Amino acid sequence: MEALNFEVIKDTLGQLGGMLLYILLGIILLEIFIYVILGKIFKSKYTLPYMLMIAAIFGISLLIIYPISYEIRLAFTNMSLRHFRTYTLSWAQGLKNLKLIFTEPILKNVKFFSLLSRTLLWTGVNVVFHLAGGLGLALLLNRPMRGRGIYRALLVFPWAIPQIIAVLAWKGEFHFEYGFVNIMLRNLGMQPIQWMISPFWNFVAACITNIWLGIPFMMIIILGGLQSIPLEFYDAAEIDGASRWNQFRTITLPLLKPVLTPAIVLGIIWTFNNFNVPYMINANELESTDILVTGLFRAAFEYHRYGFSAAFAMVIFIVLFVIASVYIRMTHGLKEAYE
Amino acid sequence: MKKILSICLVLVMLLGFVAISYAKVNLILWTKEGEEALDWNKSLNEEFMKLYPDVTIEMVKKTNVEILREDFLTASLAGAPPDILWTVSDHAGPFVAAEIIEPVDDLFDLNKYVESSLNAVKLEGKYWGVPISNGNQLMLLYNKKLIAQPPKDTDELFKVGKELTSDDIYALVWNQTEPFWMVPWLGGFKGKVFAEDGITPTLNTPEMLATLKFLHAMKFDAKIIPPESDYDAADTLFKEGKAAMIINGDWSVSGYVGALGDSLGVARIPKVSATGEWPKPYTSGVYFMLSQGISGDKLKAAQDFVEFVSTMEKQLEMVKLLNRLPALKAALDDPLITEDLLLKGAADQMVVGTPMPTVLEMRCNWDSMKPEMLAVLADIKTPEEAVKDMQASVESCVKTLE
Repeated sequence: MEALNFEVIKDTLGQLGGMLLYILLGIILLEIFIYVILGKIFKSKYTLPYMLMIAAIFGISLLIIYPISYEIRLAFTNMSLRHFRTYTLSWAQGLKNLKLIFTEPILKNVKFFSLLSRTLLWTGVNVVFHLAGGLGLALLLNRPMRGRGIYRALLVFPWAIPQIIAVLAWKGEFHFEYGFVNIMLRNLGMQPIQWMISPFWNFVAACITNIWLGIPFMMIIILGGLQSIPLEFYDAAEIDGASRWNQFRTITLPLLKPVLTPAIVLGIIWTFNNFNVPYMINANELESTDILVTGLFRAAFEYHRYGFSAAFAMVIFIVLFVIASVYIRMTHGLKEAYE
Repeated sequence: MKKILSICLVLVMLLGFVAISYAKVNLILWTKEGEEALDWNKSLNEEFMKLYPDVTIEMVKKTNVEILREDFLTASLAGAPPDILWTVSDHAGPFVAAEIIEPVDDLFDLNKYVESSLNAVKLEGKYWGVPISNGNQLMLLYNKKLIAQPPKDTDELFKVGKELTSDDIYALVWNQTEPFWMVPWLGGFKGKVFAEDGITPTLNTPEMLATLKFLHAMKFDAKIIPPESDYDAADTLFKEGKAAMIINGDWSVSGYVGALGDSLGVARIPKVSATGEWPKPYTSGVYFMLSQGISGDKLKAAQDFVEFVSTMEKQLEMVKLLNRLPALKAALDDPLITEDLLLKGAADQMVVGTPMPTVLEMRCNWDSMKPEMLAVLADIKTPEEAVKDMQASVESCVKTLE
């Protein structure tokens, strides 16, 4: 591997510099175009706002709107390796893709509802532990104590390191013979576990990894919420003789709800769509531990079922949208705390 | 207004200047090679560019063959594929199905290459790649400090293996997570993954059952292999002297020469005692493939580069540096190969190998064999259940290809 020297830096800048130059020139031309058309020809009073927004609009159109539109179009095709350049685009094909999603295996054996159930289980287990762990740690940290800053920094560490690095490290630690998890189990007199080969334990390994990664985020959000609760409520409750548990139940939880609801919704969405952890931990591509998004990835890029996968992606989006909407409605979580 | 027009004029001139400075032919090459061969890749590019100053080769290294396959499909769809690939033969199947590579029959003189390596990329009556190296086969590599003579057959393997295996040393290691390491044994049990037509998968066979039982016995009865071992674990154990033998491919030989020096030996994978047959590892090699639609100056430059790498000098250079067998027929007779024990061993293994199928359906075979092989090696499924499930999986997968 080459060391980082002047040549390498020069090459990198040369490669990146060209691209950046084109982007910059493109933006300048766009701004000039808007200025000339809106400012000089139409003499519009919104010339400046449009000039300020146009670069962002262009970027969002290119990076978000166009790919999503292309994907919706792809969902109505039968694009695959055998129909790579010449494929059928029709409403009938779209309906056929939809039917295939719910009736035929997504990959080799696993069907949609198995994947959905497993994904719901994955989401439920992870969010519950994130919430419980985050709440517990936040409650512990929300009191005067020595070294609180250091504890907070250490507890945020899993969230701070790049997720891929953390997952790869955990994957190594689940190695049957040389991973610290099995070494610890052996030292405790227990049988080592086949984390990478057993479907059940591979799922557990992914959950352990994701729970470790997700607790800090919840902890930070909840800690912020706890610190915004006025202390007078607790003083008044103490005077009235309320126990710690009653205070937690009647003061802490209700006042945390406006903070908890978006955090849980985010947690559900991120966990439901979490790709890195289940994909990397499932190193042996066990179909029995795939969730919806990893199944989608494999269907698209390993089985090359592009049209089918695009339709599948739309279905996953709808499922997640419904789950999030139902949750928000049921919990009234977005209402003000004092209403 | 005049200021704006002046700025526009300057910008257009600037863009024009940039365009002119790119009038050279720029070939984009994607390579699948790892660290050991990458330096040779780079030196080839530099030498070629000195000989052909109007051509620049921009090489992009892909992390592994799967990434290369996925990225090439995506890039082709986006209309911006690389011009030339340096990759493995089993990519021919998906790339031919997607119509994104060019047949090479009319572009090169293919008679000078080893026929078996050409056959690995023959589909629909045409050739779709130009071989760079020949082989890519698995073989038995052994550490002479731990085992003086490799076992000749599986009975001897188990016997010697039990004596060798201890708390610190394993007799044999191999990548237990990929079915590529299982298929040589399947060949040794006289099995194949396809029926005679070459596209109907046949996995639920007595031969596959015997293979899975053999692998299970290797692990749980003879106990001569680690409880779990992927490619990196096997590779590391062998390099660190904690494994007496490894089944690995010719691409790994130069790394082991570096680690073990003269202690490295190469031999055929031991004969299957039950059938008297040599295991048949898949043979292929590394190939140049050209993007569909490549033409004009780029095609000429690509042809020149392929011819450059196919010269006797460069083929023998590859043999010296990477210990890989050449694709050029004439180079196989060179004393460099015939008098080198490692290369002779590799060639000896290749002779009993079998060309790797490259049809699209092979993907389904790999994907179906893998989880079942893992389940048998984890002792969570019996071989009988595994072969049935393999067949069901592969039939389901083949349906999705349509």
